[in-house]
Amino acid sequence: MDSVANPVGIRLTGMDVKFHHRVKGEVYAARDVNITVAPGELLTLLGPSGCGKTTSLRVIAGFQKPSAGTVHIGDRDVTNVLANDRDIGFVFQNYALFPHLNVFENVAYGLRVRSQPQAVLEASVGDILRMVGLAGYERQMPHQLSGGEQQRVALARAIVVKPRVLLFDEPLSNLDAKLRVSMRGEIQSLQKRLGITTVYVTHDQEEAMAISDRIVVMNQGRVVQVGTAGELYRSPASIFVAGFIGRTNLLPAVIRGAAGGRLTLDIVGTAHTLDGAQTDLGSGSKVQCVMRPETIGLTPESAPGTVPGIVRSRTYLGEKTEYTVEVSRQQLFVVQFGADAERFAPGAAIGVALPVSGVQVLSGDQS
Amino acid sequence: MAEAETRPGRVGLAAMLPRDPALAAAILVIWALLALFVIYPLAALLMRAFVADGTFSLEPLLQVLAQRQHRVALVNSLILGALVGVIGTTLGFLVAFTVSRAELGKGWVRLIDIATLLPLISPPFTTSIAFVFSFGPRGLITHDLLGLKAANVYGLYSTLAAESLTYFPIAYLALRPVLSAIGTNLEDMAFSLGSSRWRVFRTVTLPLCVPGLANSFLLLFAASLADFATPLVLAGNAFPVLPTEAYLQITGMFDLKGGAVLSFVLLVPAVLVFLAQRQWVARGHYVTISGKAGPQSAGQGLSPSARWLLIAASVLLGLFIVYLYALLLYASVVVAFGANHALTLGHYKVVFTDGLKAIKDTLIIAFIGMPLGGLFGVLVGYLVARGEFAGRRAMEMASMANYALPGTIVGIAYLIAFNDPPIELAGTALIIIACYIFRYSPTGIRTTVALLQQIDKSIEEASLSLGARSFTTFRRITLPLVMPAFFAGLGVVFIRSMTAISATIFLVSIGWSLITVRILENMTELSLGPAAAFSVFVIVIVMAVTSLIGLLLERMKASLGDTSLSGMAAG
Ligand SMILES: Nc1ncnc2c1ncn2[C@@H]1O[C@H](COP(=O)(O)OP(=O)(O)OP(=O)(O)O)[C@@H](O)[C@H]1O
Ligand SMILES: [Mg+2]
Repeated sequence: MDSVANPVGIRLTGMDVKFHHRVKGEVYAARDVNITVAPGELLTLLGPSGCGKTTSLRVIAGFQKPSAGTVHIGDRDVTNVLANDRDIGFVFQNYALFPHLNVFENVAYGLRVRSQPQAVLEASVGDILRMVGLAGYERQMPHQLSGGEQQRVALARAIVVKPRVLLFDEPLSNLDAKLRVSMRGEIQSLQKRLGITTVYVTHDQEEAMAISDRIVVMNQGRVVQVGTAGELYRSPASIFVAGFIGRTNLLPAVIRGAAGGRLTLDIVGTAHTLDGAQTDLGSGSKVQCVMRPETIGLTPESAPGTVPGIVRSRTYLGEKTEYTVEVSRQQLFVVQFGADAERFAPGAAIGVALPVSGVQVLSGDQS
Repeated sequence: MAEAETRPGRVGLAAMLPRDPALAAAILVIWALLALFVIYPLAALLMRAFVADGTFSLEPLLQVLAQRQHRVALVNSLILGALVGVIGTTLGFLVAFTVSRAELGKGWVRLIDIATLLPLISPPFTTSIAFVFSFGPRGLITHDLLGLKAANVYGLYSTLAAESLTYFPIAYLALRPVLSAIGTNLEDMAFSLGSSRWRVFRTVTLPLCVPGLANSFLLLFAASLADFATPLVLAGNAFPVLPTEAYLQITGMFDLKGGAVLSFVLLVPAVLVFLAQRQWVARGHYVTISGKAGPQSAGQGLSPSARWLLIAASVLLGLFIVYLYALLLYASVVVAFGANHALTLGHYKVVFTDGLKAIKDTLIIAFIGMPLGGLFGVLVGYLVARGEFAGRRAMEMASMANYALPGTIVGIAYLIAFNDPPIELAGTALIIIACYIFRYSPTGIRTTVALLQQIDKSIEEASLSLGARSFTTFRRITLPLVMPAFFAGLGVVFIRSMTAISATIFLVSIGWSLITVRILENMTELSLGPAAAFSVFVIVIVMAVTSLIGLLLERMKASLGDTSLSGMAAG
């Protein structure tokens, strides 16, 4: 199958989705959501359960009417266009294969609906089944397939009609861990090869980071941050994003002063100076510092530029070792790499070197 | 699924309907049909009963209730309904409990299943005729066995017994799933905690069954309240009940208004019972303790003597029903039961000569109504389960109304509504077919809803996302998946078209007659032989068609696989 000639973008503008809840009254499943997907891009919606990912995806698909706002696919306003007229492919969490049709007919369904001639249809279905590694499965019924195979059929069925937009709702969540990793690789390479604009929903941050061009982080119906995996990891805009993307230490601190791009703060009982940290807050403000576990250094004993700490626990994981270290009655999560990474025993008194750059400083009262 | 706020800009009717044109059209068509064949007749009935010269008045109701005869009929109906409810539920529970707990042999279970199926698929007079043969003045038991001269089979007791036997299978079918859902593990647990078996039954099993028992009582109460055929044959003058009174008012005295008012009196308890029964179901009072929770042990809740007692009682009941049907069969092949027992096929000859027109009419009506009723059931079920539009609940209620109401009311309502212009259908086959479709499609509707609740909505969304319009999706995806409901619904419409009488007795004409009406005529002329032969004929046809449908359903299930209907939710 060839790549899509002219990939289109998607634009959600000011989208609200309201539901009537029996007890709570009106609840917003999505609130003022603005999302732009570039042509050919793979964009992920990421967030905790119930944050409105599926709802947003269903609005793009046309399964859900938004209470306010518009949806554009390419230049076309599709807000009032029915799902069957939006030229999309949707892959469902439960695959949603047609149980009364065999694999061939499942995949052929969209082509039949488009009244493709039998010869074209057979060729396309054959191609696509080969592509997802299911040649020879044509006559199987869905209930005779494994979860992974059903997944591939669902994928084949969605892309065989060459949709302008591909939508995935947690397509891998019913698979075991290993299959999940290999399937996400396949989805990603397929998407890149076909160049179809794709929106992918997941609540698994690792999956999101592995697969996406960009990630939209959602919480409680709102978009909280948009960026590449690296941007979100290095510069989370909020404590929520910092906690959701990767493992992290959030350390309370008080600003002492800022000068020449350098920021001095009181943290874990000492004064510490950061390079290139951005903040508008003045002296005396309470803040939270986002320190990633691999940016914190450990030394055998207190050395200049370190603060004293005690090793509380150690987990050896082969290529890395994870520590919990107590500093000034705060627990720090630290990751060490390299040959002697596991050298500190629990109970040992050590020196802890806090990073002087690449630290995100967030206003302390936000959550 | 809750509905998102409707978008601004769409007002009036358009705002209440889905954006999809095919869906909107289907909703409008169904509403039009319901308005014409459910709402309009009922409104016409109420108008005829209570509106005179353009003014509303309850006077007719008071007049009717002022007559002692009618008050007695009302009280009798209620008493009979309550008694049938209690006795039928008891019998149903007894058999359901025996089948689910007493480890019966396969053969016995089969006997019980047949014995409980027979009354459900028989024409309405069957039990009554068999009762006359068995307990009448020349009955096998009263006359031949006990030597009673001039035994009186007519009155409350025989009506009660015949109705209980006819309707207890409803209780059995309602209670069996409840009992198997409770499962023996729970009872065993209580037993292992040191309770006596009787105590386990009293404190665990019975309380858990209460919602099921209440539901079955209400179902039987409603069935008895609506039953017109059994009292007509067995109740006699000593025990008048409402449906027969209303019938006699119309056919005997040609008093349509009086009949309308009487049937309204019947309507009030019927509606109350319907609402009460819905309440039980809606509030989820059903026992939902999973039957899947691990393997069930054989159960130790029964002592050996109790087990044998239960088996004996159930088997006796089954045998008694089989005996009644055997009697019916026998009476259809002898010259005159009780007087001349020489074998003859004469009655069947009557059936296939004199009765040929009724048979042809009935079959034509049944075979036309069957697919239409099945389709109607699936369509309404689909809209009720999947549609998102204002008035969905109202549509569901309206589609159930003719089914929940006693047939007498529906029949009189149709008679009043369609006798004169603007919509004159009296004397046509259409009026009978419509009556059957709108009265007996609720089984199909409910089966469709139940099936669709098991089929994940995403399967239909998948079809939409692939570019199929909602009509294509319905035809190619939904319809094949709800085929079992289609056939179940169609089967019920067929059975009822062959066996029902309470509503259609008012709708038959010279042009279109029905077998059941012929049976009634034979009964009143005391030609019991032909009546028996007609009944046997109907039972055979109905059994043949239902087994065919059953076979088809089996095939369908096998081809879909076990997990298929749950939407392939792996994991
Ligand atoms: N049809 C509906 N009716 C009422 N509330 C709904 C409906 N659909 C979703 N919601 C509510 O909207 C919110 C967002 O739901 P949504 O399915 O979009 O979450 P999600 O981010 O996909 O979560 P998950 O990761 O668990 O799938 C939830 O609080 C949910 O309860
Ligand atoms: Mg979701």
